[in-house]
Amino acid sequence: MHRVALLLLVSLSSTPDKQTRSILAGIDTEYGFTIEGRDVTTQADDSMAFVRHSPDEGLPMWDYQSENPRRDMRGFQVSHLTADAQDAEFDRGRSRPPAAEERSDRALPSGARFYNDHGHPEYATPESWSLADLVAHEQFGDQVVLGAAKALSQKMNRKVQVYKNNTDFHGASWGTHESYLTPRNHVFSDLASAIIPILIARQVLTGAGKVGSESKGPVKFQISQRADFFVESMNVETLSRRPVFNTRDEPHADSSRWRRLHVISGDSNMHPGCTRRKVGLVKLALILLNQDRVPKWEIPDPVTSFQLISRDAIGEGRVDLEARSWTTPRQILESYCDAADRAEIADPEILELLSETRTLLEARHSNPDNYWPHVDWAAKLWLLNQFADSEGHWEQSAMQALDLQYHLLDQEEGLYYGLSNAGLLRGADVQPSSPLSPPNGSRAIARAVFIQNFPDQIETLSWGQVRLKSGKTITLDPSLWYEQSLLDVESIEELVQRLPQ
Amino acid sequence: MIYADRKQAPMPSEPQRKLGDEGGPSKPDIGRPTAPNELLKRMKNVDPDQAKKYRQRSGQ
Repeated sequence: MHRVALLLLVSLSSTPDKQTRSILAGIDTEYGFTIEGRDVTTQADDSMAFVRHSPDEGLPMWDYQSENPRRDMRGFQVSHLTADAQDAEFDRGRSRPPAAEERSDRALPSGARFYNDHGHPEYATPESWSLADLVAHEQFGDQVVLGAAKALSQKMNRKVQVYKNNTDFHGASWGTHESYLTPRNHVFSDLASAIIPILIARQVLTGAGKVGSESKGPVKFQISQRADFFVESMNVETLSRRPVFNTRDEPHADSSRWRRLHVISGDSNMHPGCTRRKVGLVKLALILLNQDRVPKWEIPDPVTSFQLISRDAIGEGRVDLEARSWTTPRQILESYCDAADRAEIADPEILELLSETRTLLEARHSNPDNYWPHVDWAAKLWLLNQFADSEGHWEQSAMQALDLQYHLLDQEEGLYYGLSNAGLLRGADVQPSSPLSPPNGSRAIARAVFIQNFPDQIETLSWGQVRLKSGKTITLDPSLWYEQSLLDVESIEELVQRLPQ
Repeated sequence: MIYADRKQAPMPSEPQRKLGDEGGPSKPDIGRPTAPNELLKRMKNVDPDQAKKYRQRSGQ
């Protein structure tokens, strides 16, 4: 079938089903926040209180037995992960509660997780086959966090504000991470070669934008919030010496069969179209890897390439290659789209993504008014330039204040919402998922059933397992398709019998 | 190895951009549309020092 006709069809069908699903993915987002009269020295305790005030129903538990963030995909384990030196100063003299108490986990009825991670409230979506489901659940996370902020504000009688960004302009960064279920049988170097070019290039379509720099010399505006903070091409660290490609090997599934690709180089996106594109492009790379159709790009210095692209908001961006040649993010992204044309892709959302990617790459310079309404960094820059025009100058610290305000989760005051509510953005109209609805087809349905229907029978749970008070442990295979009708079962026995094998 | 189907651009004598380049972005074509006055007013109400006061712990 001709591709144009195929795209027309998929735009009507939209989401993948049991037969057309491709890659299972999830997003976890750490949020910045401020409390009137408090500061960063109390943030670790305040974040714990923040999560504990969540009004969302959920089980206060999480099972860490199967988790080990120190294991590296390259076949070894580090003895410890390096902590941030500045945070260590903040913690001097603070008595830390036990780890589980500090984390304050909430396993939510949708299969999501809400907890305190290194002093930031963190919401992790349930794993999703569909990009549409994933974005809806990611948007629901904003509601969860705002609900907790409101409850904490009322309790403390102080104003609490939440920012969905990744930088404080003073050298601290926190993350928005993506997870992708990936077969163990890929050779590690093949996986890295498939993913690193996409991570470097996708920022032109997905970056959140940032005024200034914290570590690499002055610049007025960057495409990426995170670029300043990468110092190595790949490693297992996340709190310091952050890499472009994170090698954490913690699959949350049968480790003999699966890896979980853990991506830490993306920005938190306000624009749901960017969230969808950010995940979709990595899924595209993984699909091509599964079919041995990945375009070959050898990028000798991924860190510098990432940072050079981030600093080129006006030009095409530049990626140095071997043998004194170079390319652009556009060429890299188009090469993945071209490779997809020769691959077998059934997932309708990925086919839609190819068309959107090509259209936006073309529009970036030829028709910017058809580009910036789709892309966080470009929308932010457009707005800041409008303000600079009205003021007659660009004043860097005031622009950083506006940059921060873009990320404020407040419909009345936040600048992203100002743009959105004025009808200036495109592809941004996404309804958050409902609190009781897990993503279609994913193992999160089974987790949600346990939480919603049988909470009193759960000893503890994690992404991949549910341990019951009866002593029975139930493993949830992430690669299988789970029917929504499981939500209607009335007994654990029936549920276990109906779980896919 | 370089992607075989992709045109190789020669290395220019000078890099297009350098880290620390203070040139920054120039104004894009903003002929249309324009930010509504209500949105500009919202921006004027932002504390211009709020980013200076915004300190956070590092996360992952």
